[in-house]
Amino acid sequence: MSVDTPVRRRKLTPLRMLLHGFLIVVSLAWLFPIAWAVLTSLRSYDYTAANGYVSFGGWTFDNYVTAWRTAEFGQHFLNSVYITVPAVLLTLFLASCVAFVIARFSWKLNLVLLGIFTAANLLPQQALLIPLFRLFTEVPLPEFMSDSELLYDSYWGLILINVAFQCGFCVFVLSNYMKALPRDLYEAAMVDGASIWRQYWQVTMPLCRPALAALATLEVTWIYNEFFWATVLMRTGDKFPVTSSLNNLRGEFFTDNNLVSAGSVLVAIPTLVIFFMLQRHFVRGLTLGASKG
Amino acid sequence: MSRPQSQAEYLARLVPPSVAGINRRSLLAGAAGTGALLGTGLLAGCGDDSGSGGSSTDVSLGSNQSDPKPKDVLVKITDGFKTSSGVQVAVNTVDHNTFQENINNYLQGKPDDVFTWFAGYRMRFFAQKGLASDISDVWGKLSGYSDAFKKASTGDDGKQYFVPGTYYPWAVFYRKSVWQQRGYQVPTTLDQFTALGAQMKRDGLIPIAFADKDGWPAMGTFDILNLRINGYQFHIDLMAGKEAWTSDKVKKVFDTWAGLLPLHQPDSLGRTWQEAAQSLQQKKSGMYLLGLFVGQQFSNDEQDDLDFFTFPEIDPAIGAKALDAPIDGYMMARKPKNEDNARKLLEYFGGKAAADINLKNDPAVLVANSGADVGGYTALQKKAAELVGSATEIAQFLDRDTRPDFASTVIIPALQQFIKNPKDIGGLTSSIENQKKSIFTD
Repeated sequence: MSVDTPVRRRKLTPLRMLLHGFLIVVSLAWLFPIAWAVLTSLRSYDYTAANGYVSFGGWTFDNYVTAWRTAEFGQHFLNSVYITVPAVLLTLFLASCVAFVIARFSWKLNLVLLGIFTAANLLPQQALLIPLFRLFTEVPLPEFMSDSELLYDSYWGLILINVAFQCGFCVFVLSNYMKALPRDLYEAAMVDGASIWRQYWQVTMPLCRPALAALATLEVTWIYNEFFWATVLMRTGDKFPVTSSLNNLRGEFFTDNNLVSAGSVLVAIPTLVIFFMLQRHFVRGLTLGASKG
Repeated sequence: MSRPQSQAEYLARLVPPSVAGINRRSLLAGAAGTGALLGTGLLAGCGDDSGSGGSSTDVSLGSNQSDPKPKDVLVKITDGFKTSSGVQVAVNTVDHNTFQENINNYLQGKPDDVFTWFAGYRMRFFAQKGLASDISDVWGKLSGYSDAFKKASTGDDGKQYFVPGTYYPWAVFYRKSVWQQRGYQVPTTLDQFTALGAQMKRDGLIPIAFADKDGWPAMGTFDILNLRINGYQFHIDLMAGKEAWTSDKVKKVFDTWAGLLPLHQPDSLGRTWQEAAQSLQQKKSGMYLLGLFVGQQFSNDEQDDLDFFTFPEIDPAIGAKALDAPIDGYMMARKPKNEDNARKLLEYFGGKAAADINLKNDPAVLVANSGADVGGYTALQKKAAELVGSATEIAQFLDRDTRPDFASTVIIPALQQFIKNPKDIGGLTSSIENQKKSIFTD
């Protein structure tokens, strides 16, 4: 192979055209369903029912208004916030604690501990449904925490579930990141008389900010998108997060696909906002932990 | 998880140990005897261990009525109950499909005192497992229900577990204007029906609108043919897994259907029932076998043009008196917090006042209570009520009359397969029978 020069790289070889053609096709294939949903959501059902979806016209914004109202998205978005925000904060805190221990101290069970946390990632959540459901219906909560007086049908239960399932991945990523921090820092901190807590909170955590930001974006998206547990472990319709409440737009006999599209677009907006705001962190988050520094 | 080996085992694993009254050791005791053990021990363990008594002025209601109109009707009925009894109803609405898919979890967790549900096998299934309460005493106070409704509310043990609210019949719908214009007559035998279909074809109409994208609409066609050819009891036994799908009786149903398929709207697997109903509404199709809800696709001024007839007789010995008319209603959970109020609420749901409110506010359904003031019925509703009133037996629709897993995992694909390839009836029925054996096992 010859050495690539900038001039050469710009030259269009057939192979390069093929590559770009392929990339364009792939990106269109990914964009198509989203674009189609947005397009559909902006058209009235009557028009598409009469003329088919492969037509042009019937533009309206009513679907969004109706979707917001009938599915009571206002309340359900709030429910999602109640679940997502504490769950993400708690996950990051707990995971960073474990990661700190794994990275900072070397003791016999280091690898085992990391192994357990990572292995938990591999468990299919559905397999745990029945035991967890039984467990949740047996664990009482005081009434001021949940009107169901059980872990079942409470936000606490959902937060707990999300924290439990997300910790594994976060520990894995954070411990790899923390291992890359220079050991001298801790030696210096110890010389200055910093306690373990101080070494964790004031030395390690600030340095982990990029990793934490990346994880936070990922986790917000994942926990926000989670709807399986919310559907199974919740009983009260008014407490469902927004992803589960999307089903409210489906009728018993009749489903207005344009309305459901509008609802889906609304539900997807927060993840898109998070993604575009923190795109840099997002991409980094996906490759974090891929290579040990 | 391994597949349950018998029906008893399948049912048993839906019940938590606290209900089933078994301890950990017997759970560990192993595969073979456990199913039978659980099956008999189900009702034994329903002790009063919760002890949580709610306040006496409220009652909770779990509702699957998430569509705007029925939801609104339910609010009006619960308001009426509050005025008459002073008891506040806390309604917990969950969307229809989620409610249905989650019903096992829901009933085993902490269900609401009263919940919306369906008559038929789906009701008996939970009654038999002790997840619903006997409400025979409420039935003692109800009046205005025909025997067919009482039968549909009765569990396998002869007690009532269900209060019927609304229902809708399945029939063959058509537009009066189209039929008048072309001079079509309502057929009363299968021969007349096919002749009419052939005539419509010559007139450039699609004789029978048809859609089966969602899987369930074709069940309606299978049901009515089965009811006409083999009768109600065979339908019930077939759905309960007691009759063989490979029998000549079932083959005859598919044979008859195959003969009618050329009259059906083609490419039905890619069409939703709404689209098929629209072809009827746009006068492109001549008739459509569907539930009364077909009217949702017609605008208000077109409602008067909609008419129906019951599917014609095929075998004179069987007649044409049975039909599908799924009943929606209410049940009481296993250990309601406010049992007294729950019974009062059920009595109110079954009474004339609730029926009147329902009737006034929702034209898409019929009310089960014959004492209701039916003056507000549209012509179509009146006719539908007469049809069901004169029915000798009321079936609940295929997927409500059989095990949910059988209906969704076996029947839906099988019927779609049949529509694609109506020739291989032998292969199809033996495939259903084989799958049935792995689901219904004793």
